[in-house]
Amino acid sequence: MIDLRNVERSYRAGGTETWVLRRISLTIQPWEFVTIMGPSGAGKSSLLNVLAMLDDQWKGEFDFDGVAVHRLNRKQRADLARQKIGMVFQSYHLLDDMTVAENIDLPLSYKDIPRSERQAMVADTLDRFQIVAKKDLYPHQLSGGQQQLVGIARAMIHKPALLLADEPTGNLHSKQAQEIMEMFRQLNQEGTTIVQVTHSETNAAYGTRIIELRDGWVHSDTAGTAQPPLQEVRS
Amino acid sequence: MNRLVQDIKFALRQLRKSPGFTITAIVTLALGIGANAAIFTLVHAVLLKNLPVSDPKLLVRVGDTDDCCVEGGVPDQRDYSIFAFELYQHLRENTPEFESLAAMQAGVGYAGVTARSNKPGDLPRAERGEVVTGNYFQVLGLQPYAGRLILPSDDVQGAPMGVVMSYQAWQRDYASDPSVVGSTFVLNTYPVTILGITPPSFYGDRMTSAPPDFYIPMVMEPNFGPGNPTSLLHRRDANWLYLLGKIKPGTDLKQLEAKMSASLRNYLATLPLYQRQDRQADLAGAHVVLTPGGAGIENMQQEYGVGLKMLITVSALVLLIACANIANLMLVRGMARRAETSIRMALGAQRARLIRQMLTESVVLSCLGGLAGLLVAYAGTKVLLAMAFPHAQSLPIEATPSLVVLGFAFALSLLTGLIFGVAPAWVTSHSQPADALRGSNRTTSDRSGWLQRSLVILQAALSLILLVGAGLMAKSLSKLENQDFGVVTQNRVVVHFSPESAGYKQEQLQGLYDKIINDLHALPGVDKAALSLYTPLEGNNWGEGVYIQGRPEPGAQAKNGASWLRVGPEYFDIVGHRVLRGRGITAQDTATSLPVVVVNEAFVKKFFSNGENPLGAHFGISGMESVGDWEIVGVVSDIKYNDLRRPTRAMYFRPLLQVAHTKSQTDTRSLYAGAIMLTTKGQVGNLESQVRRTLANINPNLTVVDYNTFEAQVRGQFDQERMIARLTLMFSLLALMLAAVGLYGVTAYSVARRTPEIGVRMALGAGRGNVVAMVMREAMLQAIIGLAIGIPAAWLCVRLVQSQLYNVGGHDAMVMTGSVLVLTIAALLAGLIPAQRAASTDPVKALRTE
Ligand SMILES: Nc1ncnc2c1ncn2[C@@H]1O[C@H](COP(=O)(O)OP(=O)(O)O)[C@@H](O)[C@H]1O
Ligand SMILES: [Mg+2]
Repeated sequence: MIDLRNVERSYRAGGTETWVLRRISLTIQPWEFVTIMGPSGAGKSSLLNVLAMLDDQWKGEFDFDGVAVHRLNRKQRADLARQKIGMVFQSYHLLDDMTVAENIDLPLSYKDIPRSERQAMVADTLDRFQIVAKKDLYPHQLSGGQQQLVGIARAMIHKPALLLADEPTGNLHSKQAQEIMEMFRQLNQEGTTIVQVTHSETNAAYGTRIIELRDGWVHSDTAGTAQPPLQEVRS
Repeated sequence: MNRLVQDIKFALRQLRKSPGFTITAIVTLALGIGANAAIFTLVHAVLLKNLPVSDPKLLVRVGDTDDCCVEGGVPDQRDYSIFAFELYQHLRENTPEFESLAAMQAGVGYAGVTARSNKPGDLPRAERGEVVTGNYFQVLGLQPYAGRLILPSDDVQGAPMGVVMSYQAWQRDYASDPSVVGSTFVLNTYPVTILGITPPSFYGDRMTSAPPDFYIPMVMEPNFGPGNPTSLLHRRDANWLYLLGKIKPGTDLKQLEAKMSASLRNYLATLPLYQRQDRQADLAGAHVVLTPGGAGIENMQQEYGVGLKMLITVSALVLLIACANIANLMLVRGMARRAETSIRMALGAQRARLIRQMLTESVVLSCLGGLAGLLVAYAGTKVLLAMAFPHAQSLPIEATPSLVVLGFAFALSLLTGLIFGVAPAWVTSHSQPADALRGSNRTTSDRSGWLQRSLVILQAALSLILLVGAGLMAKSLSKLENQDFGVVTQNRVVVHFSPESAGYKQEQLQGLYDKIINDLHALPGVDKAALSLYTPLEGNNWGEGVYIQGRPEPGAQAKNGASWLRVGPEYFDIVGHRVLRGRGITAQDTATSLPVVVVNEAFVKKFFSNGENPLGAHFGISGMESVGDWEIVGVVSDIKYNDLRRPTRAMYFRPLLQVAHTKSQTDTRSLYAGAIMLTTKGQVGNLESQVRRTLANINPNLTVVDYNTFEAQVRGQFDQERMIARLTLMFSLLALMLAAVGLYGVTAYSVARRTPEIGVRMALGAGRGNVVAMVMREAMLQAIIGLAIGIPAAWLCVRLVQSQLYNVGGHDAMVMTGSVLVLTIAALLAGLIPAQRAASTDPVKALRTE
């Protein structure tokens, strides 16, 4: 489903170039539930942004579902992402002045879907994530766990093939985190590819594969495709 | 003190850190303050300024209208503002309440004087004279700049002939030569002593763009007055003087007014005009109105008053819009810095100190804006004056903006800046720092938002009103200018001159006129040439009641007036009157041939409304005994000579030198032609100097009073309308610009504030189009609410300008649509820039700032 080859990403700040992703090569299969780990600043979020096609500043090759993303322009990438990818954020990023139902409806509002169909999809999703009772509440009336549940519902409403989650439980108690992970596992079993970033071993245990990043390099990968940083010396 | 310097330095550094904000604020302030100061300077100079006299409060004018020049008959509303000399004497003798009551010529500059200094080689010059009574300068309480001013002893029969020169003429035409004082000039061929020079600050007794060059004692009126070469001085039926007096302190003006009105009626009762039975109501109603005379004869003030008051309203609205902008900018800045304020509070900064810093910053900003405003005011005043008086020779108005107004506009914007600059700091510093820190980045709605939006809505509504007003004025002006006056103006020239000032006698005129026309025809390129008493659209008018043969005598209320002038043979062709029936005036219509007139269509419509044949009909103007004086021999097409807003008047045209059989002595003044009109074959280079030389070769005293193209003369009729329309347009565009800046500012701020939200939306699939649409929707919503308020408000406000409009309904759909369109486009542009910026938000960065 995802095939990265020699993906590199650097930031230029005040004349010096800082590398945050170094020659990342990865293959992720549709059935996988991948956890990305690593210390703060290792490049986890940067990698997720590349996968989410929010970032255009990287070099290398990226195939998504057989489409060569590196050959697409911004608009084509946005269109592809809109169809295939859902995102969940650490701080939920629900819009304050919208109700739960309206927040969930947001991704649909950027697609050409008839109103009635949208309403049906929202109702389905509310049902599926068991938050029907909260549909008219505003985000600040919910607990953190409930807010993240809404965030996931929002990410899943258009049935994306890939769900990306950047520290989805970073702001939650372990009890709430556990519920979210159960949710992820269930989504994965229903056929969604999941890539999550987390610091928690417990959370990582819900996944099927762990990739560890350090200073932008893939340090280890339980699927065993990591390349040792040795090669750096020669290059 | 040290701390103040430190605060100011800090403030300057802060302002330099956000140049966009600073420049916008300073430009807004400069335009708001400067435009207002400029307008008020003009208004102050025209409407409010007193004469430079010793005690303006004690000066009282007898009269309140701008009736001018020479008038007979009953004035409008029976309100006397212009008087015969004998009537002036009568009023003066019966009102001891006046310490002194002076009289002065109403129509200054119509005939003019021809002046030649005693310097060898000096050529005669056409100048303006004003005939005044001997006590004129005493009433005004003026001191001479050099020599002495006119005294009552100069104004008696037999006194040596002496006149006073204006400071401006002395400077302009005689190089401030001190030997002028006491020297003998030749004025209208008479030797006259120059008694002295007026003080530099004195520009005459009224505001005019062409003040008098000479002040001439009343006793010399027969040689220099408006009736020259005949005299008006002892004509009881001709009113030609304004009255201005100095009252004794403590005089009750209402009582004096009643007393003078009674005195006026006593005198009028002795006139033949008021002895007729049907004039008794007019006599009983005759009255005077006393008005403050501190600013002199306020004709220009009256003429410009309505327009200027409208401009004040307009510029006040601009100031309001500018203040709304400042308020908005300060609010935006304050809100944006809430986080900074919170952090500093958390770090233990004192509230008082924070607020003092904001205060300093506002004051520094306002001062910078005020300084820039001063520059705009200076430049603006110059531009406004040039627009208001395009043909001024020496305008009695300085281009220095009034400090009071500058101060007022400055104070207002400073206050606005202070209130809206300090309020956000105040609010923030009173909230819990922790709250502010935590809450600041997550809210997508904002409490200050509605205030900013209301300000923008207000601005949009106000600018719509101004746009509609400007649109109406512009349309009215274009209708005025583009109406068909009936005239032909291409390749036509108008030359004003004054054979009476050159000393010609009645019996010499035929020879003079023949020579002038002959010599001008001989100039290369000159096609046609004609003399006339006056020309269309120059502001002159001679009118008289008409008595037609075979009709009953018109009653007192009958409207039997018609305008007239004398014209030479080629005149009709030159001006554009087409001969419709009968014939025009020809060279065969001489002083001794059958007395004839040619009338215009409006004359036929007015006096031959039942289809009678005007050709062959007879009429006169000196009562029923004169009905046989002239025979109508032709009808010509209508041309507007005056009053562009009203239909063409009934007019008749007489040959240059035929004198009426009845009361022939009152018919000689008009024998002196005032204008020469020429047509040329294409452009002729140097025509003006050729014409001047041709006249001077005939007689050096034949000076050119004024030389103009006919086209410019016609255009000159719209100077005032054009100025008002242009200024309204300028100010409404200024308002529109400020409102657009306001909308831009609020939208840009809102975009900046919503960056994280926009990032989220983009991460969830929003495309560029979605983001642009979202931002534009918000911006346009404000514009639309502004329109919703502005359209009905403009609908109501047009009432105020209705009286200024010509042939334009106040509720003109085209103007309204146009204004709405312009405002909408401005709003679109103002919204589009921040919308574009929003659409290029990098979601990765936006999400990271979280
Ligand atoms: N917009 C940016 N500009 C400059 N440096 C950045 C930017 N975004 C991330 N970085 C840097 O890239 C590195 C990796 O960041 P990130 O991918 O967010 O790490 P992680 O999510 O693993 O903590 C960090 O050192 C961070 O400072
Ligand atoms: Mg991260």
